[in-house]
Amino acid sequence: MLADIITPDLFASALRMATPLALAAIGGTICERSGVVNIALEGIMLCGAFAGVAVTLAVGNAWLGVLAAVLAGVVIAAIHAFTSINLRSDQVVSGTAINILALGLTGFLMEILYGHPGTTEAVTTIKPIFRFASERGGGGFVAEVWHWVNTILFSHTPIVYMAIIIAIAMQWAMYNTRWGLHLRALGEHPRAVDTVGVSVLKGRWIAVLISGALAGLAGANLTLEQVGSFTENMTNGRGFIALAANIFGRWTPVGSYGASLLFGFADALQIKLQIFRGEINIPPQFFLMLPYILTVIVLAGVVGRSVGPAAVGKPYEKG
Amino acid sequence: MSAAAEDRSTNRDWAAIAQKVGTPFASVLLAILIGSLIMWVSGYDPIAAYAALFQGSFGTPKAFGDTLLKSTPLILAGLGLAYGFRANLFNIGAEGQLFMGGLAAGWLGLVLAGQPWYVALPLLLLAAMLAGAAWAFIPAILKARIGAHEVITTMMFTYIARYFVSYLVIGPLKSPGQIPQTGLLPPESQLPRIQSLFSDATLQAMPFLKMGRAHMGILVAIVAAVIVWWVLKYTTLGYENRAVGYNPWAAETGGISVQWTTVKALCISGSLAGLAGAVEVMGVHHRLFDQFSSGFGFTGIAVALLAKNHPIAVIPAALLFGALSAGAGTMQLMADVPQKIILIVQALVIFFVAAEGIVTYFVKQRQKEATSNVG
Repeated sequence: MLADIITPDLFASALRMATPLALAAIGGTICERSGVVNIALEGIMLCGAFAGVAVTLAVGNAWLGVLAAVLAGVVIAAIHAFTSINLRSDQVVSGTAINILALGLTGFLMEILYGHPGTTEAVTTIKPIFRFASERGGGGFVAEVWHWVNTILFSHTPIVYMAIIIAIAMQWAMYNTRWGLHLRALGEHPRAVDTVGVSVLKGRWIAVLISGALAGLAGANLTLEQVGSFTENMTNGRGFIALAANIFGRWTPVGSYGASLLFGFADALQIKLQIFRGEINIPPQFFLMLPYILTVIVLAGVVGRSVGPAAVGKPYEKG
Repeated sequence: MSAAAEDRSTNRDWAAIAQKVGTPFASVLLAILIGSLIMWVSGYDPIAAYAALFQGSFGTPKAFGDTLLKSTPLILAGLGLAYGFRANLFNIGAEGQLFMGGLAAGWLGLVLAGQPWYVALPLLLLAAMLAGAAWAFIPAILKARIGAHEVITTMMFTYIARYFVSYLVIGPLKSPGQIPQTGLLPPESQLPRIQSLFSDATLQAMPFLKMGRAHMGILVAIVAAVIVWWVLKYTTLGYENRAVGYNPWAAETGGISVQWTTVKALCISGSLAGLAGAVEVMGVHHRLFDQFSSGFGFTGIAVALLAKNHPIAVIPAALLFGALSAGAGTMQLMADVPQKIILIVQALVIFFVAAEGIVTYFVKQRQKEATSNVG
């Protein structure tokens, strides 16, 4: 049975499941590094997922759908930026309002556009980039290794690779560019940034908008590459798991990606195990709980040793 | 959130009171206005929509009964959120504790079949409170001991609770038949409908008492609100709760254990959410199934924020959201507007209540323009 569970597609599936979490988690990292808490990731992802499907259904081009998802993410994030940076609202409360707004807005638009609640029509999903031939147990050792490599690394859709590139690029940018230096300083000591003549408001706005774009892209990955349709509230807490991944990844983009891989693996494993639930005799709901339980365990084990930006959650007032 | 603001109001300064009540009122008004704008842009008639909404929530005694029905769990969940907010804790996962409270009531009610109502009702409510508190306990400990953010942990526990309840009503607790639900609670474990307490003659004479499905849970909720108010205002428990919320360092220096207060606050918050689940099961559905709550725990957030975390103010705030929720169906039926607009209005209310800086922001903008015009 173990050989049926530990297969190349288990790991490939882990990478797929990790992608929306990772994109949102990196968005959370950038946002929190600038000093703004973003618990709206869940709602932004949901709006991205919806915009992606709606535009794809309307124009028939999934890439325009991806673009729409990113734009939707930016627009929704702008609300969060305005309320938490300019109006200095409680950032967690503002994020909560956005999550509720996202539920309402996507549901409302769905009924207006398609005349019914629930799930939209299916769209043609974006196809994997590479198509290399490989077969399981086909030949010798080399063929087997190639099959594993091909399935795990080369079977994916574009946004899966984009997420990896974004993680590395953001990591580099955060520690090697002026923008990165300012970003990190914004979350630790905004007044110092202000003193050297860099606008705290602008810096934080940009960070929040980037997080919106990434969470929107995460939504596009969910609907346009994985599921192929939109269902109300389909993000199912992924935005919150992404926040945990950001903490576990110690507020770094690559760390967030790595942590998301762990949660993605848990998700892939629970899906795989459900196939065998007749043999292990455990109800499916317990498998579905796994990613959420794992998130709590990870948080319990890591928080305290992983310290966030000093000024996170505190509105900045020019003094 | 701001325990200090609450304390200041004790000097009964009318201007302060006007401002305090003014913000929530203005927030609701603005939210409703923007809601109509959204309806208008989407091609609906906002006036017809709100008229239908009003008809469906206050138009008849039965409609008002529905408003009370929806408000009941909202008061309790809102109280839970408010109690947490007062200690600077955001129990975003009240929905999970609400599910566990509903589960406790739905299960224990069947176990206690044959007991008189005066034994069954208190025990069920107590069990639901304990279940809600227990579900908040692990996030509470994690928050107090290592600072794991309760927003993430209680949210995760909400998903776990939903799957757990879903498993139970499909599996071990399922009553015979096709539908995944538990058996019907015995009458002694049900919260009676308000109109069932009056004789037919009385109902004839006073037709406004014919409040349909509204049940005695509203009494439980109002009593709970008064108790929470009293606890916060007059007891050491409440004082410590507010002190930790206002300034944990000062509280710690003053000899209050911040950790222990945090645990107590989140568990009490959870117990109130649990109670919300219980009244929904005992008063409305009379059994447990996995969709028994329509997000009351999440709406409780809006209720608490609108009430500025004042336990008594939670009651009118809950009535507002209860009315929106009760009238939404009529609105969809008569004006064809999708019910989801209610969620949008709810989110807008939260935005405006939270954005207390909004007025100062626009005043400052105005001043900036003025000075730049002069310069």
